[in-house]
Amino acid sequence: MTESTTEEPRSDDARTLAGELALRVLSPDEERAARAREQADPAFAGEVEAWNAHLAAFAAEVQGVQPSAEVWPRIEAGIDPVANDAANDNGRLGFWRGWAIGSTGLLAASLVAVAVLIARPAPVSEPAPTPAGGVTRVATLTLSEGGAPAVTIAYDTATGNLFVAPTTAIAASDGVPHLWLVRPEGGVQLVGAIDGAEASHRTLSAALSGQAGTATAVAISMEAPGTTPPADAPRGPVVASGELQQL
Amino acid sequence: MAAMLTRDELAGALVQAGRGDRSAFRTVYEATSAKLLGVCLRILPDRQTAEDVLQDTYLTVWRKAGTFDPARASPITWLVTIARNRSIDRLRSAAPMRRAVPVEDAHDLADGAALASETIEHADEVGRLNVCLEQLEDKARGVIRTAFLEGVTYDALAQRENVPLGTMKSWIRRGLMRLRSCLES
Repeated sequence: MTESTTEEPRSDDARTLAGELALRVLSPDEERAARAREQADPAFAGEVEAWNAHLAAFAAEVQGVQPSAEVWPRIEAGIDPVANDAANDNGRLGFWRGWAIGSTGLLAASLVAVAVLIARPAPVSEPAPTPAGGVTRVATLTLSEGGAPAVTIAYDTATGNLFVAPTTAIAASDGVPHLWLVRPEGGVQLVGAIDGAEASHRTLSAALSGQAGTATAVAISMEAPGTTPPADAPRGPVVASGELQQL
Repeated sequence: MAAMLTRDELAGALVQAGRGDRSAFRTVYEATSAKLLGVCLRILPDRQTAEDVLQDTYLTVWRKAGTFDPARASPITWLVTIARNRSIDRLRSAAPMRRAVPVEDAHDLADGAALASETIEHADEVGRLNVCLEQLEDKARGVIRTAFLEGVTYDALAQRENVPLGTMKSWIRRGLMRLRSCLES
């Protein structure tokens, strides 16, 4: 081809990479890097979306196959009827607020027990069951140094409410704790600064709530006061982390 | 049996499901589960695994339906993308290579009749892709199609076709570039 290549070769590269990501031909390492870029770079994410739209046309040639009758009941059992019932929202919020406030002692301990019960040593190859609409995901974050429980969090996928309850004051002298989601495909996503001393709750944005529903773990980094790290990489040290479990 | 829906009806049902409407979600399932199971079965080795992934897929759909934007994506594209990505994730998490079968028919693209679109599919998009695929070299066309339908990586494609990895990458990259400039012309 003798066409001029003067116009934006870099954006062509990005577009090709987005196509490779959408097509899923990259090696695991390359894919992880490209996914991280997709998270961090909206223009690139838009390219991936455009490729998905183009390439999905290939599916037109796929013959449909009727699923067995037992698939739908299993799906139906996986979606919680209460969770998406807006009328129950207040009650749920009240319950969780009470939990978050009372969680510093006994409840935190029992949550750890629950997490242990749930935590099967599943092989890495077996992805955790997909959280259905309206499940609660919990994590107990332990300190990187010493392993003591530091924070418990609970996330309600139906409402997008995230509750953060420190069990020991982690707001040390030298930084502001920031919460991160660890994505199943690798990489992290910043949720934001958290109160390291008192229980608090926030409602995640639509973009974040999807990720909170699929994240495999959460972590806390200590960032220098007055700074905000990039959304995909902590600047300060990671002081605590824990796996997210479905309650 | 699968209910026949127009694209707009399907988009509407998906939006309703995103607001927590279980009967709309059931409608989405009825209209699309056969197609999505077909997509899963192209990628995964057996029906049980495929149905397992299908179940996962719809649980994800239920959870994420609130983020579906009918102005930005066609509903079937959105659903196929989730089913395909879930299937590939499962395939790659399950360790060793299955099927050492060579790429069946990779180079002869199915003819127009086999590509006949269903009501819920975006006929324009399918037509445009096919026109543009016609303009690719046979090799590039075959491997891009195989990569999509079977969810295989550069590495696996290079092995199957018995060419160096670099050659496979350049076939696909060139193909993607030409495809994209055609699709957007």
